[in-house]
Amino acid sequence: MYIYRCEESMEGILTAIYNIYEDRRAFVDTQIRLDDEYILFGEDVPVQGEREKAEKVSRTLYRKFGPMDYDTICKALASWSPDKANVVFHSIRYGLSASVAPGRLFQHLSDENVLRASKLALNAAREFQHLQGFVRFEELENGILFSRIKPKNHVLQGLMEHFSDRFPMENFCIYDEGREQFAIHPAGKPWFLLQGDIAVKQVEHIPHSTEEEMYAALFKHFCHRIAIKERENYELQRNMLPIRFREYMTEWK
Amino acid sequence: MLVEMQVHGFFMCILLRNSNVCAIIDKRTFVLFGDSSKMQELITYEKKNISIIESITPQQEMSLMDKLGILADSAKYDVACTSSGVERKGNGKDMGNCIKGGICHSFSGDGRCISLLKILQTNECIYDCKYCINRRSNDVPRAIFSPEEVCTLTMEFYRRNYIEGLFLSSGIVQSPNYTMELIYQTVYLLRNKYRFNGYIHVKAIPGADPQLIRLTGFLADRMSVNLELPTAEGLKELAPNKHRKTILAPMRQIQNGITANKDEIVVYKNAPRFVSGGQSTQMIIGATPESDYQIMNVAESLYQKFDLKRVFYSACVKVNEDKALPALPGGPPLLREHRLYQADWLLRFYGFKASELLDEKRPFFNVMLDPKEDWAVRHLEVFPIEINRAPYEMLLRIPGVGVKSAQRIMMARRTANLTFQDLKKIGVVLKRALYFITCNGRMMYPTKLEEDYIVRNLTTDKDRIKFGSDGMTYKQMSLFDSGSFTAEPSQRSLLASVSGQL
Repeated sequence: MYIYRCEESMEGILTAIYNIYEDRRAFVDTQIRLDDEYILFGEDVPVQGEREKAEKVSRTLYRKFGPMDYDTICKALASWSPDKANVVFHSIRYGLSASVAPGRLFQHLSDENVLRASKLALNAAREFQHLQGFVRFEELENGILFSRIKPKNHVLQGLMEHFSDRFPMENFCIYDEGREQFAIHPAGKPWFLLQGDIAVKQVEHIPHSTEEEMYAALFKHFCHRIAIKERENYELQRNMLPIRFREYMTEWK
Repeated sequence: MLVEMQVHGFFMCILLRNSNVCAIIDKRTFVLFGDSSKMQELITYEKKNISIIESITPQQEMSLMDKLGILADSAKYDVACTSSGVERKGNGKDMGNCIKGGICHSFSGDGRCISLLKILQTNECIYDCKYCINRRSNDVPRAIFSPEEVCTLTMEFYRRNYIEGLFLSSGIVQSPNYTMELIYQTVYLLRNKYRFNGYIHVKAIPGADPQLIRLTGFLADRMSVNLELPTAEGLKELAPNKHRKTILAPMRQIQNGITANKDEIVVYKNAPRFVSGGQSTQMIIGATPESDYQIMNVAESLYQKFDLKRVFYSACVKVNEDKALPALPGGPPLLREHRLYQADWLLRFYGFKASELLDEKRPFFNVMLDPKEDWAVRHLEVFPIEINRAPYEMLLRIPGVGVKSAQRIMMARRTANLTFQDLKKIGVVLKRALYFITCNGRMMYPTKLEEDYIVRNLTTDKDRIKFGSDGMTYKQMSLFDSGSFTAEPSQRSLLASVSGQL
C-alpha cells in the first residue's frame, strides 16, 4: 500500500493527486494522508506541494466535472476532517474512471467516497453560512473593523470574499484564531492573507472607538427586547445558534 | 417651553412680539409658548420686569436606547424576519449586498432568528385593534424615530454585521398617508443619502395612497401587508378600524406592480426593480374561532391568487385583557401554529392541496401526527411505495422523505439500486418512512399496513398517554366510544329493564 503524505492545503492535496496519477499507482491500494500516523505495510511517499501541478489538476477537475461539482470539491477540501484528502481523491478517481458527465459526480451518492465528500462539503458550507451571520466586527479607534473567529472548517477565504463584496469601502480584518490566519481588506482594494499571529498582536492593543460601546449596548438591548417572553425556547435558540460561536459574538459578551 | 409670567411696565409688547401667547389669564398675566433658547434669552434680559410664576420645559428627549427598546418591543409580534429572495451583488462603492438564501445573524431567547433590524417607525396609533399592544386605548410608553435615527442605526449595525437589513413597520400616526410618507422618507434617505444597498422590508399601510406604495416599492426588497385575521368577520370583530377591502387592495397593487416590473426588466435590463423579493403577509392564529381548514384555504388562495412568497402564521399572544379575545390558558397556541407551518410547506413544496389535508368534516389538524403522516395513514391504498421506481411526486408524499432526500433518491437511483442502508445515508428518516416504502419489493421488516398499527408506532408512548387521557383519538368519534357502554349492566338494571321499570 502506498501512503502519499502531504500538507493540509489545497495545493498539497492536488499535487498528491497529480503524483499518484503520474506514478501510475493501483488506486485501490493508495491513500492520501495529512498526518504522520504510521500504517502497517504501507510505503510512505512524501509530497511537496507544487503550484503548477495543483493548477493542472484543478483545471482538469473544472473541465471534467463542471463548475458546480468543482465548487463542491473545493468545499470538501475546506473541511476540517483529516480524511478529506483521501475521500476527495477516491471520489475524483471514481468520477474519472466512470467518466461521469459534468455536474453529475455528486449524484453518484451510492459510492461511499462520493457520499462522504458531499457530506464534508455540506458541513463546510453550513459553517460558512453560519459565520456569514455570526461574525461580529468591532470598530477600533482608527475606524478599522476587527473580528475574531474560530471555525472548524477553513472558511476564512470564503468569508473575506463575502465581506469584501459587502463592505467594499471599509477597512476590515478577520482573524482565525485556530489557524492563526489574519486576513486584511483595505478599503477599495483586494484583500490578502497573513500567516501567524504577529499582525493580530498589533491590532489587539488599539482601543475601541468612542461609539463602539454605545452600539454594542444598543444591539444587546435590541436582542433582549425582540424576544417574546411567552414563547421562550432556549433549546431552540441553542440548536440554531450553537454555543461554540457565542464566545465571539457581541450580544453574548 | 411654556412659561406663565407676570409682566410689569412696557415690556409686554416686546414679549408679545417675540413669543406666542397661549392664554391671557388677566391684564398682566400671560401664558407664553416659544422656543426655549429664545425665551431663556428674553427672560434673563428682562429679568427686572418679569416675574415668572411657572415654567415648564418639555419632557426630556428620550434616549436612543429607550426608543429602540420601546419600538423593538412593539415590533416583535411581527413574524417575518426573513432576508431571503433577493440576490444582489455589491456595486463596489456602496455598503451592502443581498444573498439569495438570506442570512440569520442571531437568535433571540424565543429561538426566532434576528436577521433584520425589526422596528416600528412609531408605536403611536390611531387604531384600536383588540389584539394589539399598541392600540389607542392602551397606556404604554410611546416613542417615535426620526428617519435619520433609523438610518444611522441601520448603517452602524450593518457595518458591524449585526443585521442583514431593515424591517420597518409602523403604527398609524395621524393618517395612513402620513405614516406611509414617514416610512417612504426613511427608506428614501437610507437608499439615497446613506447609500445602503442591503435588504429592506417595509410594510405597506392599508389605506395609504397607491402612489406612495408604488414609490416605496421601488426602494424596498420586500413588502408586506398584514392580513391580520383569516376572515373578514374576525377582522370586523377585533380590528374595527381595518377592512378586508383596504388590506387586499395594496396587496393586489403590489402583485400587479411585480408582474409589470418583470416584463419591464425583460426589455430594459436596467429598469428599477419593484419589490424584487416578492411580498408576504401574516395572520394571527387563535384569536378568532376559525378552523385550520379555513386558514389553509385562505393561505392557498393567497399563494395562488396573489402570488405571495410567504404567508406567516402568528400564534396569538395575549397582550391585552379584552372580552373579545379568547382566554388561552395554556399560553399561545404554538403546536397549532407549528402544524399550520408544516401544512404550509406541504402546499408550497410538496404538491399538496388544502382540500387533501383537511375537509369540512375534519377541520382541524391532528395533534399527534404531522399533516403528512396524517394524510398517509388515511390513504393507505397508495402505499407501500417502491423507492426505486416511484415518480418524484409520490416520493414527496412519503412521511420521512423531504424535498432534499427525494431529490437525492432521484439522483442516486440512476446509477444504483437503492437499499434501506443507502436510504439511511441519503437522509431519509426511516423511523417514519419504513411503514410506507419498499426497496426492491421488500419492506424493511414485516409490518402491517394498518392504520391502528402504524399510528401506534409513529407516536411515542408519552404522547399516547397524554392523548388517551383527554379522550381524543385520531379516529372519528362515535357514541359508543364512551366508557359507560362497555361496562356490563348490573343485575339490578337488567331486572329493571326486563320488568319495564326504566
